[in-house]
Amino acid sequence: MKLKSSWLLLLLVSFVLFLAACSGDGGQKTDKGATDDTESTEESSEGADESASGEKVLIFARGGDSESLDPGSTTDGESSRVTRQILEGLLEFDKESFELKPALAKDWEVSDDGLTYTFYLEEGVTFHDGTPFNAEAVKINFERWADPEHEYAFADDGFVYSMYGTMFGGYKGDEGHVIEEINVINDYEIEFKLSQPLGYFLQNLGMSYFAITSPAALEEYGPDISEHPVGTGPFKFVSWTKNDSIVLEKFEDYRVEGLPKLDKVIFQVIPDPSARLIALRSGEVDIMDDLNPDDAAVVEGEDGLTLLTRAENNFGYVGMNTEKPPLDKKEVRQAIRYAIDKQAIADALYAGYATTSKNPLPPVYLGYNDDVEDYEYNPEKAKELLAEAGYPDGFDIELVMSPTSRPYMPDPKTVAEIVQNNLAEIGINVTISSHEWAPYLELTQNGETELFILGWSGTNGDPDYFLSSLLHSSNKGSSNYTYYENPEVDDLLDRAKRAVDQDERADLYSQALEIINEDSPMVTLVHSTPVLAISDNVINYVPHPSTSESLAEVDFAN
Amino acid sequence: MKLEETNNQFQEQNLPPHDDNVMDEEETEAVSPWRDGWKQLRKNRLAIIGFAIILFFILVAIFAPLFTSYSYDQQNLADRLHPPSKEYLLGADHLGRDIFTRIAYGARVSLQVGFFAVTGALVFGSLLGILAGYFGRWIDMLISRIFDIMLAFPSILLAIAIVAILGPSLENALLAIAVVNIPIFGRLVRSRVISLREEEFIMAAKAQGMKSGRVILHHILPNSVAPIIVQATLSFGTAILEAAALGFLGLGAQPPTPEWGQMLADSREFIQLAPWTMLAPGLSIMLVVLGFNLIGDGLRDALDPRMKN
Repeated sequence: MKLKSSWLLLLLVSFVLFLAACSGDGGQKTDKGATDDTESTEESSEGADESASGEKVLIFARGGDSESLDPGSTTDGESSRVTRQILEGLLEFDKESFELKPALAKDWEVSDDGLTYTFYLEEGVTFHDGTPFNAEAVKINFERWADPEHEYAFADDGFVYSMYGTMFGGYKGDEGHVIEEINVINDYEIEFKLSQPLGYFLQNLGMSYFAITSPAALEEYGPDISEHPVGTGPFKFVSWTKNDSIVLEKFEDYRVEGLPKLDKVIFQVIPDPSARLIALRSGEVDIMDDLNPDDAAVVEGEDGLTLLTRAENNFGYVGMNTEKPPLDKKEVRQAIRYAIDKQAIADALYAGYATTSKNPLPPVYLGYNDDVEDYEYNPEKAKELLAEAGYPDGFDIELVMSPTSRPYMPDPKTVAEIVQNNLAEIGINVTISSHEWAPYLELTQNGETELFILGWSGTNGDPDYFLSSLLHSSNKGSSNYTYYENPEVDDLLDRAKRAVDQDERADLYSQALEIINEDSPMVTLVHSTPVLAISDNVINYVPHPSTSESLAEVDFAN
Repeated sequence: MKLEETNNQFQEQNLPPHDDNVMDEEETEAVSPWRDGWKQLRKNRLAIIGFAIILFFILVAIFAPLFTSYSYDQQNLADRLHPPSKEYLLGADHLGRDIFTRIAYGARVSLQVGFFAVTGALVFGSLLGILAGYFGRWIDMLISRIFDIMLAFPSILLAIAIVAILGPSLENALLAIAVVNIPIFGRLVRSRVISLREEEFIMAAKAQGMKSGRVILHHILPNSVAPIIVQATLSFGTAILEAAALGFLGLGAQPPTPEWGQMLADSREFIQLAPWTMLAPGLSIMLVVLGFNLIGDGLRDALDPRMKN
């Protein structure tokens, strides 16, 4: 008998340990699940009740990890998505559009000649580290981006502020650089003097790249700032486990009273879209981005889940490194464009949430050129062009991709296999190689790839952000992944950048698109309407077309 | 576990000495351990099932093009995720490729990987095992420690490390699996050789002035064949499983090569939408591995004299 009861005890102990191990595994998620349950049950009996342990934790599932959390030195959408919560710029975009709203600047004035911008800053705002936000901080941030020699530029550690260069015409001392001087008038008033008008200057300031970091943190962390972001945003940074999760918590002294609603936000990396959806269904996560379009219909009819879409504001493409032979030949690039059946890709992989693309610019944008001749799927013509270029029997080439799902492409691996198959038809033998997201971006930025699969989502609503970033020769090594260079296009883009008249700009962009279409540095595939799914319990979540939205107002329904 | 078991059994067992001269007599005496083994094996129903499964997959692999009008990389995007039907016997995958065709061609890949990886491991493992077992002393010390180090890694981890260094491809995966399996054969052969080395017929051969090479080739090797065959059969299954695991992780065959593990990985996303895309490769892997394990178990029983009635 004695023996028996001791066995029973052992069994009991091991069972308890097993349970404990299970809950440990779930970590904060279990925590949250538990509180959700108690909340909902309590609500039914005695109304809403924020229990003592009722920390509101939102878990946001996404496909890839962030590249860096220093917003100025990255172009990665997965990075902006997170930094958007931690840091703020002078201005911000409206919830669902690119309309400007005040952020750290409560008001602003533009001189009649368009050369002087004066901003009146919010008073009494502090950074997460407790230091005050003021005009000096704004100035330091802009100088840091503009001047590679600046003490906080960390150029020696590989920091490049490519978006600053793209959006403001270069860096300190460059001919095209538009910001001539920045004058601090008093603590809460700052003046930007431009050397030439820039039509979308204000629009730029709403972009998540130009968010203000605490100067004290720059001093403290140095180049490690990319892993210790300190801003004025609704959430402050807690921890980053690479390729797994980024944890943020509520900033109690946020400048807007009553916000943020959530206590904690966790950005969780789950690379596989179906695994993400399963996690959402099981309540493990609350929001999942980049839903596989195949699953959209299922999610729509499912209790407890809501299907959301972002506005169409992107394009996915197969890039061709124009410096690598045989891709340096225009005919070869055109042949590849003719060989790829983008309609089939759009039909097969996007479940109706995409249209084929002929310009590297979404149709709603200023300057979109609907007159360019599309490269319809035509393997015969492709073969002719290949023969013309001196490759009648095709050639071997490498296609590099990252299987990470993106807003413009939920399943890049399958796209890669379709492209491989299409190109095999015209004799081009493609080997596919696959990398993690961050190293993949580095590889393409450095021009070490031949064919690659990428895309671009707009973040300020201006065509320049698409065309200059991707195709201006000055952006080789950063966002000009195809290493495309055409002086004529450079000139058109430069002029369009400076022009203030919108019709004139539209015309210049249309001309540039015409040349780009002929030169074919990339196979534009589709414009997609990204779909995402959230739990019904989550309220006030509005997906922004830029792919990065503030979570300050997001809350749980009960 | 299983490996250790086989290992020990063969260490302890005493197959009749297997000599050149005896070989000739065997033919007439009809109690040859081989013929006897075959008899035993035929009685083992599970082993026969195993044989049937493997034979089926070998036939499918050889005659793959006859069974199907598709090619393994032919995409019909319009028929994406088509359920099993007359046109697509096992359905179509996420690129509208016929899954049956891919399974059939995939059988070629898997069986080839299994065969070459096991053969490679067998040849190098046996060689090292014989060297270590026969010559002993520092050679044994050195080789055995290397084996110990290799066995200290989980085999799949070691294989991943090797492929990571060499770059992902089918050839490198094959190489990695072969390397990982070397110590398994090596240890088996070494322990067998050590026990044989002290046998009287070996002593006699040595006393007659036979050279080491000849002793190994004519006396030791033939007497070690049975356990090696059993181990090879079992390893065949493991090798296929390891290849599938590497393929699943994207470290094995590269697209569009039809490889079962990779097919499994590709279909993971559609597990709810189109389960057949996952079922076919999964079942194929299971059946082939099961087949080889059944044969291996049957062979072990048949060739182990202690199991005789």
